[in-house]
Amino acid sequence: MKEKQTCLQSASAQTAIKRKNPLAQLIDRLYVLFDDKKVRYGVLAVAVAALIYLPINSSMYITEVMTTFWFNVVVCLGLNIIVGFAGLLSLGYAAFFAVGAYTTGILILHYGISFWLTLPVSVVMAIIAGLAIGAPTLKLRSDYLAIVTLGFGEIIRLAARNMEITGRATGLVGISRPSFFGIAMLRIDHFYYSFLVLAILAIFVSYRLQDSRLGRAWKCIREDEDAAEAMGINVVAVRLLAFIIGSVFGALAGSFMAIKMTAISPESFLFTQSVMILLAVVLGGMGKIPGVILGAFVVVIFPEVFRGIGMYRMLIFGVVLLALMIYRPQGLWPERNT
Amino acid sequence: MAKRLWILAFAVVLIASGVFGCSPTPPAGDEEKPDGAEAPQFDGEILVGIMVPVTGSEATYGQDMENAMKIAADEINAAGGILGKELKFTLGDDGCDPQMCTAAASKLVSSEVVAVLGGYCSGATIPALKIYGDAKVPFIITAANSTELIKENPGWAFMINSPGYHQADAAANCFERLDVSKLAFVHQGDGFSENLAELTRDEWLSRGHEVVAYDVVNKGEQDFSSLVTKIRSSGAEGVYWTAYHADGAMLIMQLRQGGYTGEITVADGSSSVQLLEIAGAAGEGVYCTSPPVVDYLPAAQRFISAYNTKHNQEPGPYAGLAYDGTYLLADAIERAGSTDPDAIRDALAATENFETLCATITFTPENVLEKSNFMILKGEGGKWTLIE
Amino acid sequence: MSLQEIVIQQLFNGLLLGSFYGLVALGYSMVYGIIRLLNFAHADIYMVGGFCSLSLLTFFGGTFIGNGWLGIIVSMFITMIIVGLLGVVIERVAYKPLREAPRLSLLISALGVSMILYNSAMVVTSGEYRPYKTGLSYEGFSIGSVFITHTQAILIVAAVILMLILHLFITRTMYGKAMRAISMDRDCCRLMGVNVNKIIALTFFVGTALAASAGMMAGVYYGSLHFYMGFVIGIKAFTAAVIGGIGIIPGAMLGGLMLGLLESFGTQIPFIGSAWKDVFSFIILILILIFKPTGLLGKKESERM
Repeated sequence: MKEKQTCLQSASAQTAIKRKNPLAQLIDRLYVLFDDKKVRYGVLAVAVAALIYLPINSSMYITEVMTTFWFNVVVCLGLNIIVGFAGLLSLGYAAFFAVGAYTTGILILHYGISFWLTLPVSVVMAIIAGLAIGAPTLKLRSDYLAIVTLGFGEIIRLAARNMEITGRATGLVGISRPSFFGIAMLRIDHFYYSFLVLAILAIFVSYRLQDSRLGRAWKCIREDEDAAEAMGINVVAVRLLAFIIGSVFGALAGSFMAIKMTAISPESFLFTQSVMILLAVVLGGMGKIPGVILGAFVVVIFPEVFRGIGMYRMLIFGVVLLALMIYRPQGLWPERNT
Repeated sequence: MAKRLWILAFAVVLIASGVFGCSPTPPAGDEEKPDGAEAPQFDGEILVGIMVPVTGSEATYGQDMENAMKIAADEINAAGGILGKELKFTLGDDGCDPQMCTAAASKLVSSEVVAVLGGYCSGATIPALKIYGDAKVPFIITAANSTELIKENPGWAFMINSPGYHQADAAANCFERLDVSKLAFVHQGDGFSENLAELTRDEWLSRGHEVVAYDVVNKGEQDFSSLVTKIRSSGAEGVYWTAYHADGAMLIMQLRQGGYTGEITVADGSSSVQLLEIAGAAGEGVYCTSPPVVDYLPAAQRFISAYNTKHNQEPGPYAGLAYDGTYLLADAIERAGSTDPDAIRDALAATENFETLCATITFTPENVLEKSNFMILKGEGGKWTLIE
Repeated sequence: MSLQEIVIQQLFNGLLLGSFYGLVALGYSMVYGIIRLLNFAHADIYMVGGFCSLSLLTFFGGTFIGNGWLGIIVSMFITMIIVGLLGVVIERVAYKPLREAPRLSLLISALGVSMILYNSAMVVTSGEYRPYKTGLSYEGFSIGSVFITHTQAILIVAAVILMLILHLFITRTMYGKAMRAISMDRDCCRLMGVNVNKIIALTFFVGTALAASAGMMAGVYYGSLHFYMGFVIGIKAFTAAVIGGIGIIPGAMLGGLMLGLLESFGTQIPFIGSAWKDVFSFIILILILIFKPTGLLGKKESERM
């Protein structure tokens, strides 16, 4: 079955080359080229080597931006599980990485626990948060879900702002950085590699999930909830799992962010953050892992490249975004429906 | 199928990062040379970073600080530069956002600046302290003054604005003079304004007075009427607003509109004259605990006219400190005799009674001003006038 | 102030705030009802309305119309027309090509429009607040320690009048009927000979004009404008629309008033106070949705994504 599919696709790709649009032609040619296993693994090897080499060769600024990019890959892939795979609209994703960041921050700062030990706690908190937001919303239609997730995001942020343990509006300051097998994590390239590993892990897990029974169940409920239920899929459990797994991704990224920044405040988890992550996911192509990575890249790099034009930067971003959506509503690199 | 595409994704990311990585970093310093035919000859240059918000909600202040620093630099260069070298700037925009701040700070560090001036929003200055500390870059903070900055300072930052507790003191004095005993506090839920509200509340309670309300307005909210009712029903005789001018003006208007007749004092974030412009008649008789604004300082008239000619507007509240900071740095580098970071830091720490527009600078061991530089202003006829 | 007076004053504060929320929520709800879009740009329309009316009012300030009530009413009409047309243009450019696209793409397109409006306003005003000067005073009437200015009273009446007009428009005219029909089944309407594009454009015109009027009222009442001003009210109005049942016109008004009251009493109640009032409102929202998943006035409806 699988072989037949690939065969069909490459055939369709070849016929597609005859289409006139040069860009589409180029993309399709690339598709054909990548059918060759040697080319595929060769490119992959070169890419990984280059990414490992990057911080050695480039300035601190570029390493910093690329670190932000890998951070965004992790959170975008996390949101992609909720929005892309399971088709649940979420406007409060920042809450999940707030949970991770604050858990780690509080445990290190107030209880002096080692960073690596805070990670499992962070995961547990993420599961609780995923359940907390998932459970009451299971019966809701997607747009109501959107507002509940938005509300949840605001509740978490405001609670962090008001409570003593989270450092109120000032947030947590002076979170100490851990060491990794004797190497103190102080420099930006240490964080570059941590986030790179985290991102590769996230990509790997995303692929495994996508092809798993659970992944197919998500796709099923996304396309037709009633049919999925009729086929014996436990819609409630599957949806909850989407929230929980997505939340774990976000929380882990948040934990690492806490030690990278050494200071976190409620202002790092605004509604705008959640919207930017959603934007990256939809812009790249929901449900499509390479698409989501591309989306994260665009969202991180665009404002950096155009930093020089100051105030006009986000204006231009808006125009580009609008144009992209009008001409490519399915996203830059959409999922192909086979 | 799936694998093939993910390699493609990698390829795209790689190509893009390659393009991005290879593109030259934006050229440093785009300021014009000072006018005048006999431009002095320089023996190299000293590159100094400016870290202020020039985008986002606080852009006005950041721009203003940058302008003031450039005026100081022009004067310094016209007088022969520092150690015979030309003082040049490169800008890092922190956007008043902690995340943008780390990017801006890293950018400045990788442009190999000798020192950094700036820091407006405390929240967006804290993350930079560590970056500059790790990279051994002396950092003169010309506006941000949260006490968190003192705690987080790895020793490379110097604050030339009085910290919050100096202001809390000034505010408590001000209210005592106005015969107020029941006080209401309103902040805006960010690190800076909450910190100040807390400090002042503790100071006020320790002086044996009463705090009847302690409230917050969310950023971007416009309607404070229910808060006004709450303040009125609490019997407050004075309100201390610790956040920024625009929302402060709205609060003042709504307090007066809602029938509140007690005293109102605002903190340094609201010292802009725009507060009075927006608030109109409601702004009459409002007090302000303000950092040294150049308009009221006799020594600053020359700076004001220079600013006026160059930018065709009045300097804002932090322009004076930004100007002073530039001079302080120049002086420290001269005294250090080189651009060696350790030498500059030691020279800064050893600063003693350095006369600037706003204050006489001597640092405590924590790199904070020894003497408060706060003053009390009063809104009269749409303008601030100096009370003390 | 006695307890009774506090309650009356807070009730009034809540109603005024709630009618602003309601006016903005109406636009969200109408647009959602007709094309199933959460129009992120709606909040920025509110802001644009404020700035547009300020320019007009400043202009009228120098003429015989003046910047008192007459000037305000005239500029409000013109603002509603101009901004309403802007809404139609936005629909034509940014939403119409995406009508058959995935719904989330439409959402991101709306986000793009929002960014454009928001950042344009920031560039134009260079990020500064603009004072909104009118010829109005702070005079009012007081009952005990309850104090209400004339401006506040008139604004509430104006909001109620606008909502009533809208209600009559939706329930009593052919256009209103067509709108309601399209929100039930667009394709069917097309088959029945309804000019769907025209009705959608009209919906945008009305919804946007209402938000613009709210933006203007906010300017008059709060006395200053800022490019950021739509953000919070946008989230709140969206919440209000959902509380009432999104897509349902009276629901938006009810939701707006309810949220306004929740916030004003939330501020006053000890242990909630200004710090927790939004948490309080959002928790009530979630509770409402748990027990009534389609909002207060919503009807049961099955969904296909």
